[in-house]
Amino acid sequence: MGMERSSVVVLDNGGGILKAGFGGETDPVAVVPNCIGRPPSSKKWLVGDQLQADDADVTGVSLRRPIDRGYLINPEVQREVWDRVFRSLLNLEDLSQSSLLLVEPLFNPPSLQRSADELVFEEFGFGSLCVADSPSLVHLYEASRAQGPAVASLVVDCGFSFTHAAPVMQNLTLNYGVKRMDLGGKALTNYLKELVSYRSLNVMDETLLIDHAKEQLCFVSLDLQHDLRLSRKSGKENILKCTYVLPDGVTHTKGFVKDLNEARRYLSLPDGTTNCTTDLASKMGEMGGQGDTDKAEDRRKVDLTQNEFVLTNERFLVPEMLFQPVDLGMNQAGLAECIVRAVNSCHPYLHPVLFQNIILTGGSTLFPRFAQRLERELRPLVLDAYEVKITCQENPILGVWRGGSLLASSPEFESMCVTKAEYEEIGSVRCRRRFFH
Amino acid sequence: MEADVVRSEMVLPPVMPFKRVQMGDKYQKGQSRGRYWKHLKQLLQAENFISLPLDEPNYLNIESPPSMYPSKKYCDITGFEAPYVDPRTKLRYADPEVFKRVRNLPNEHVQRYLALRNAAVIIR
Repeated sequence: MGMERSSVVVLDNGGGILKAGFGGETDPVAVVPNCIGRPPSSKKWLVGDQLQADDADVTGVSLRRPIDRGYLINPEVQREVWDRVFRSLLNLEDLSQSSLLLVEPLFNPPSLQRSADELVFEEFGFGSLCVADSPSLVHLYEASRAQGPAVASLVVDCGFSFTHAAPVMQNLTLNYGVKRMDLGGKALTNYLKELVSYRSLNVMDETLLIDHAKEQLCFVSLDLQHDLRLSRKSGKENILKCTYVLPDGVTHTKGFVKDLNEARRYLSLPDGTTNCTTDLASKMGEMGGQGDTDKAEDRRKVDLTQNEFVLTNERFLVPEMLFQPVDLGMNQAGLAECIVRAVNSCHPYLHPVLFQNIILTGGSTLFPRFAQRLERELRPLVLDAYEVKITCQENPILGVWRGGSLLASSPEFESMCVTKAEYEEIGSVRCRRRFFH
Repeated sequence: MEADVVRSEMVLPPVMPFKRVQMGDKYQKGQSRGRYWKHLKQLLQAENFISLPLDEPNYLNIESPPSMYPSKKYCDITGFEAPYVDPRTKLRYADPEVFKRVRNLPNEHVQRYLALRNAAVIIR
């Protein structure tokens, strides 16, 4: 029953996670971190998915990323990651028979486009190349799944390096309407590292561990003042507190949350309305938790022998950064205003259509209650007559890749590519004019 | 060409007519690849965006501008919310006690507090 794999390799070159697979399939074969790292004890560089392996020791790993703020500046490191992905994970031997669909960020400077082309054609020797950008692929994917025809949509991509709000009309990204915030998963992780290092243990080197802690424990608060007041309480009444245990290399090599039930207690908070604390405390009595042995003194002492740290208000302050970058000192508006500016720079006829089709994609939208909070912030900024509807993709990390897979399996794909022969004859700059950005 | 011939590198590297520096010369055989990579900031400076037309979007244009709504004002000394501004020194303060402290500060300290907020007036 041999299914013939199409020869198109779809590669979403993300700053944090690289997704690679074959066109026409639903899921990518390889979802690996796009970096190489060297543990302090060994001389060997671990590439991509080797860092995710169960026996890898990720404490104090020094990482090197080929992508800086979203753009590919280091083709050397990228070559090593791609080598590993293509040869070991995708098992591709002869690349000259395959074509590559590469997803690049918007507004790639020409010098970087040239070096990327060089990497694809001369180092790896692909047969042909097609370059796409992420908002149009997301739009394509969502349009194919929706019932009615979606003419235009606003794609909000909260990725690793930055966040774009991009209007897309009929598979074409409207360049002039894109607005970018320089905040992304990387900035959030760095902020969490700073907060934890200031308050308890020094974790400034442990990027991968804090990434994991952030994914497990952080959430978006709907009412900031209320949650801040809640996090100041002590003992059992503080339902936001939870502990994260760092690996010690002997008993466990991966960090983990000490008590998942305790970490989920915040979900019982109703959405934003103030609540009387006695109610909550009695509800908490039934759920599990470590509140019994907590005393006010214990809370302030940090037990350094146990390699763990406690998180209370960092859990919601970290994603809060996306909505209020002013708190960090960045002189940019929050995500809701960014969206409004992006829409306002398009033609007025498009405004209602765009507000009705807001698509959230990208790994940083996976925080619980993200969409609720965004709608709550966005609604007062939009005219009453327009309807605001936010759709979350069901898998924000793979969303762009799936759009690419759809594009690769469409019949017009072949005509959109640039072949190696053409590249060798006319060069990178003229070839790039074929692609719309 | 057959795969093994290319792999054994007996073939001369291809010469691309559009390039000024060929790949073969950039990375000579036997020499390690350059360790020095330009960071994005340097690349952007080299791009020279100011010379490009203003209405076409490029990397610098599309940054999200600062917020249109008035921002929250915090006290310069304590960090609490500050509804008041001292007219003499222009520092923000939250309480009357803080105000006493503000009035007793030497001028140097006042300038330093303002500089933290990027509000200091520099007279040359």
